[in-house]
Amino acid sequence: MSKQQSTQIRSLPSGVPGLDLVLGGGLPEFSFNLVAGGPGSGKTIMAHQIMFANATVERPALYFTVLGEPTLKMLRYQRQFSYFNPDLAGSAIQFINLSAEVLDGNLDEVLKRIVDETERAKPGIVVVDSFRTIGGRSGSSPRDDSFDLDGFVQRLALHLTTWEATSFLLGEYAEEEQRNPVFTVADGIIWLSQATDRNSVVRKLQVVKTRGRAPMPGLHTFRITDDGLQVFPRIPEHKRLRHEQQRRRLSTGVPGLDDMIGGGIVAGDAVMLTGPAGSGKSTVATQFIAEGLSKGETGVIAVFEEYPEDYLARANARDSKIGAMIKGGKLEVIYLRPLDLSVDEALAAILEAVKRLGATRIVIDSLSGFEVALAPTFREDFRESLYRLVGTLTATGVTVFMTAEVPEGFAEARYTSEKVSFITDEILVQRYVEVEGELLRVIVVIKMRGSDHSHDFRLYEITANGVIVGSPLKGYDGIMTGVPTLRAKPIRAKRRK
Amino acid sequence: MESMSQDPKREIARRLIDSRRQERTGADTTARAAASACDHLYRDLSRWVGADGCHALFTRALSQARVEHPALTPIQLRARSEPYIDGLAASIMAYGDAGTAEALESMLVRLLELLGRLIGDDMAMKLVGRSVAASEAGDKNSDSTRERA
Repeated sequence: MSKQQSTQIRSLPSGVPGLDLVLGGGLPEFSFNLVAGGPGSGKTIMAHQIMFANATVERPALYFTVLGEPTLKMLRYQRQFSYFNPDLAGSAIQFINLSAEVLDGNLDEVLKRIVDETERAKPGIVVVDSFRTIGGRSGSSPRDDSFDLDGFVQRLALHLTTWEATSFLLGEYAEEEQRNPVFTVADGIIWLSQATDRNSVVRKLQVVKTRGRAPMPGLHTFRITDDGLQVFPRIPEHKRLRHEQQRRRLSTGVPGLDDMIGGGIVAGDAVMLTGPAGSGKSTVATQFIAEGLSKGETGVIAVFEEYPEDYLARANARDSKIGAMIKGGKLEVIYLRPLDLSVDEALAAILEAVKRLGATRIVIDSLSGFEVALAPTFREDFRESLYRLVGTLTATGVTVFMTAEVPEGFAEARYTSEKVSFITDEILVQRYVEVEGELLRVIVVIKMRGSDHSHDFRLYEITANGVIVGSPLKGYDGIMTGVPTLRAKPIRAKRRK
Repeated sequence: MESMSQDPKREIARRLIDSRRQERTGADTTARAAASACDHLYRDLSRWVGADGCHALFTRALSQARVEHPALTPIQLRARSEPYIDGLAASIMAYGDAGTAEALESMLVRLLELLGRLIGDDMAMKLVGRSVAASEAGDKNSDSTRERA
């Protein structure tokens, strides 16, 4: 065995989706950890997920409850979660109450009890919940308290590591309390927090410290569901994989549109279609997906503005294949509209679906709805958030088609959202124009990175079968204003039928 | 007491009481075994729900069982004490060995029902079942204390 092999620290799965990635590979075996956070931040849930992911009858988990939430109530609530396996309770997972020893205020007795139980059960995992109630009760003066706690924590850490247990102390600590000796002794510190901003609550996790590991830095959002905690790692910017083979063109499925963009959308690009309400953005997006499906590709639609049932009903009305494709596992519609969403949570849901289906086309409908679905704190960073979202998605090689609603003002021309246009490779704009007393729709290509494209304003119609792009609107000036003026002799070409 | 029951909670209570019977004989053997079973369960459950939590469970179970069993009127629970069940002699004197034993058995059943409602029947039965198994395996810790008392 090489030296490197002999000293390598094994990683334990945390049982918390997303957390192992943040931790840099999992929980270091035999480490002494602190899980800190305020009331209701999810410490107990995380500890239970870790126990149920690792405990066996041979190497059980010991869960020491102290003061605070009574064990009976804790079990009553914990067993509501899907990870809780009652068959393991009492055997692979053993609950031990330390309240009598703690109420006596004698740390030596508390330590002795933990040592005795550890030596008896030979656990792989040890949890003390809440450790704060031990530290906060010992001694009679702050000076004694600090002195006693220092020694207690040192001896506890040493004992648990010697007995080859991976241990977790749970405690309600404030950030200014980091001089507490437990922070110094701990090999790992996981900090859970929750913040309220305009009626939305956002939960965040930070790995403050992990000895011998390189965790993902920063704050990561997490959510508590019936399945427990799920962490959404804050994905850093990914390098785009614009392979040469991806320079192939993907048909949009919209008659006439591919001609405007040099034969189709460049595979692996991020495309944005903007336009006012009712201009047919979702219709084009659905056609883009349907075209891929008809060629044997798979796709994902992330819907933010309306319920997926309504969205699909309209899509099916135009293309009856859509419903069958969902049943056949070729298309997945994700509905994300919680109003306290983080970008990383949305990204995790979309990436999961992309991986599950091996999707090549993604529709995000719409960026406007996505922004509203985000918790207020993330709306402030929408530009940066979207940059990471699109960057991460396109890094996987999929083609991303996004829609965005822009207000229609005849007096001012606004084609794209200033916030997000920089993240896209291609920008298509839909617009209403008034010509000879008739309201018409035009589409124009604003940007196509590294590729030539049409500069015409093309008329288009929304039919029962979808959007059909027709001929250019020629002979007018000021089309961008929405109220063009006749230049000389109108050369308005006949629309394609 | 009936010799057979379809109720799994009563079955497990009887198993626990049977496991506390020692080789001793006498007119109050069954009642003392039932009281010893309560002592044992109190001590065992206290390990994981805490003495206060366990005492709260027993107190509620006693309150419920007393409605049907006057033999429990003299019975007192002594939190953090050994033996846990007090007033046994007075109950036996007034209601006899069988009456007291049946009443204590009902209290154990009530406790199992209460525990089941709180954490689920499956987990309650499993945890108490482990306690019974330990008793059957020879953990007679409280018996000597009870004998001295």
